[in-house]
Amino acid sequence: MSTTTLAGLPPAPAGDSGWAVETHGLTKRFGENIAVNDVELLVPRGCAFGYLGPNGAGKTTLIRVLLGLTHADAGTMSLLGHAVPRHRDLALARVGAIVDEPRFHGHLTGRQNLQILAAAREPAAKGRIEPALERVGILHRANDKVSKYSMGMRQRLGVAACLLGDPQLLILDEPMNGLDPAGMLEMRDMILSLVAEGRTVVLSSHLLDEVERTCDAVAIVDRGTVIRQGPISQLLAGSSFEVQVECSDPAGAGGVLRATPFGTHLEVGPDGLAISLPEGTGRDAIAEINRLLVEGGFSVYRLQHIQASLEQWFLEVTRRLGEAE
Amino acid sequence: MTTITDTGPAPTPIPAETRSDHRGSWIPTWGMVTTRFMELRRRRGLMIALIAVNIGIPVVFLGVRLITHAVDPKSYGPAGGYEIFTTLVLGFMYIFGFIVAAVVGCTAGSVDLTEGMFRHLVITGRSRLALYFARIPAGLAIVIAMVAVGYTIVCAVCVFAAPAQLNYDGVNVPVGLSRPALDSWAADHADEVLCNFNFNVTGSAAPPPSVPCGNGQTSGPPPGSTIETPKGQVVVPDTTPTQGQIRAYAVTMANQDYADYSTNFLVPPTSLMVDVGLWITLEATIGFIVGLGLGSLVGQRTVPVILLVVLELILTPLFSRHVISHLVNLERGIVGVAMLHIEPGNLPTPFSGGGPGGGGGGGLGRLLLIPESTLTSSLVIVVWIVFWTAVGAWRMMTRDA
Repeated sequence: MSTTTLAGLPPAPAGDSGWAVETHGLTKRFGENIAVNDVELLVPRGCAFGYLGPNGAGKTTLIRVLLGLTHADAGTMSLLGHAVPRHRDLALARVGAIVDEPRFHGHLTGRQNLQILAAAREPAAKGRIEPALERVGILHRANDKVSKYSMGMRQRLGVAACLLGDPQLLILDEPMNGLDPAGMLEMRDMILSLVAEGRTVVLSSHLLDEVERTCDAVAIVDRGTVIRQGPISQLLAGSSFEVQVECSDPAGAGGVLRATPFGTHLEVGPDGLAISLPEGTGRDAIAEINRLLVEGGFSVYRLQHIQASLEQWFLEVTRRLGEAE
Repeated sequence: MTTITDTGPAPTPIPAETRSDHRGSWIPTWGMVTTRFMELRRRRGLMIALIAVNIGIPVVFLGVRLITHAVDPKSYGPAGGYEIFTTLVLGFMYIFGFIVAAVVGCTAGSVDLTEGMFRHLVITGRSRLALYFARIPAGLAIVIAMVAVGYTIVCAVCVFAAPAQLNYDGVNVPVGLSRPALDSWAADHADEVLCNFNFNVTGSAAPPPSVPCGNGQTSGPPPGSTIETPKGQVVVPDTTPTQGQIRAYAVTMANQDYADYSTNFLVPPTSLMVDVGLWITLEATIGFIVGLGLGSLVGQRTVPVILLVVLELILTPLFSRHVISHLVNLERGIVGVAMLHIEPGNLPTPFSGGGPGGGGGGGLGRLLLIPESTLTSSLVIVVWIVFWTAVGAWRMMTRDA
């Protein structure tokens, strides 16, 4: 059992409607395969939340269960404070979602596809079609058939479909798929602007770099189980990091440090040293390295703390999990 | 399992939106129906098939007849009339109208799934039942409109371009005569009647008198010849029949043919056109509803379309006429068989060659059907509609999106 904290984010006790998404013991099986395994997930409102995991980890399945696209085998869940599936209609009234690759009727235009979806929502949704198309940047192609759209344009149309319901919660499954770098940048900006409007965005992705740039908090899922969740800054703060040292006589300095606990993960280069410090190491370790080198008679020109990226942290966490098993 | 600790102070609870917009209701909104209508209407291939079967082919058929009759009226008969009406409606529109309606139904029942829109629609929170039921009025609006337009054109041509006289057994006969009036007409046109009308020599009747029919042909056996009759061999008298004998015999023949004559109409009667219109509309409606349910159940279009074509073109003709003693109730349960039993009166049955002269004319065709009461037929039709609607809706409710 792993324990994480959500301090730093607007939390809420279980059962309160303060959570945008709340699940308890959520489980979904496909025969012998457990795609979603006893998931406890709390997504605060008004933030961008990353749901990370390797391919086949169960990200999309969890989203499908949340949205009522398939039933759960066990557990409870709520969206925007409404229990699902009991009050599914109320819950989904203010939810927009893209699940998997967004697909539409190819023989219809983008606008006509949105008209179909708006008709299934409240009457006001019809009036949101034009603004939604404009916001995602495909208003000029709205009268083209979707069969002529690129993958990236269909992604944008999918986001426009999400916006028809003026959603408080958006669940986007791999929204960067098919987007070129400029499109990814625009998508990132749009997600941030949606969050700035007070909406909650849950972003499922395996593009860790994008998630790190976009999200405030993340949950890591592996083989159907949420193994970590919390604010990115907090999760990374407790992870391993590297100290780069630029000094005189790197070889000699390395020899001094090898006799200490810092020598375990030490690399000596022509310009200095690279020292990897394990998870949980405090900032005092950096001062200690400096002290040892200065007392050894070496000139220290630069000491730099290199924080592990989300990607490094993710790989570290999932690797450790694999080793433990 | 992951647990959350140190959740800190509770956030201000955000009041949940509790005002329902009835999206959980099973009744579709008008907007859902109209957009679904739009989605189907813009399927070019489907619409071409619908228009071709219900409008295009009848229009081309009638158009060619109108033109050829206008160019050479002696060689080509009028475009309209009762015979053309029955040929087109029963031989073509009834059968292929069902198949095309079934294709529309299968399309409406499966394309959301195959084209990835089902997921988007479910995410709106709208009741899945409402999503399903929106397809029924939308699809029927298209199917029935097409049937109505095509059928109206056929009726109009058959009425306004009908022949001036009824051609009965190759003789132009006034239409709508009573039995005495037909007798009187036959007496006045005795030679034509003797030469052309069908006549079954009964036990009490003498062979028809011989009159010249042109091209060296005569009516009846030549004088002096010997013929077999139910009374035995009879020698045809070598005397010229009197005009009175010829007239009397023509009246006898007209009397015998009156029942068949009375089923022939110059133009299809209004009541019959209304009845047949409703009947082929019901057939198309059944095709659509069954296709919709089957398409929803299977989740794709091709297999259900093949199954329904087999039902309409193979199973229905087969089971409507061949009684399999152990399966007779199953045969009665086929909706196509039930539809044949409620066919408007005085029409030849479909699958019998079409047209009054094509065998199975009038009540005769129905006599060949496996026996089934009108009540049973009606129940079978209702059960098919309700069952396939329920199956399609159930699958829609339970399907993973």
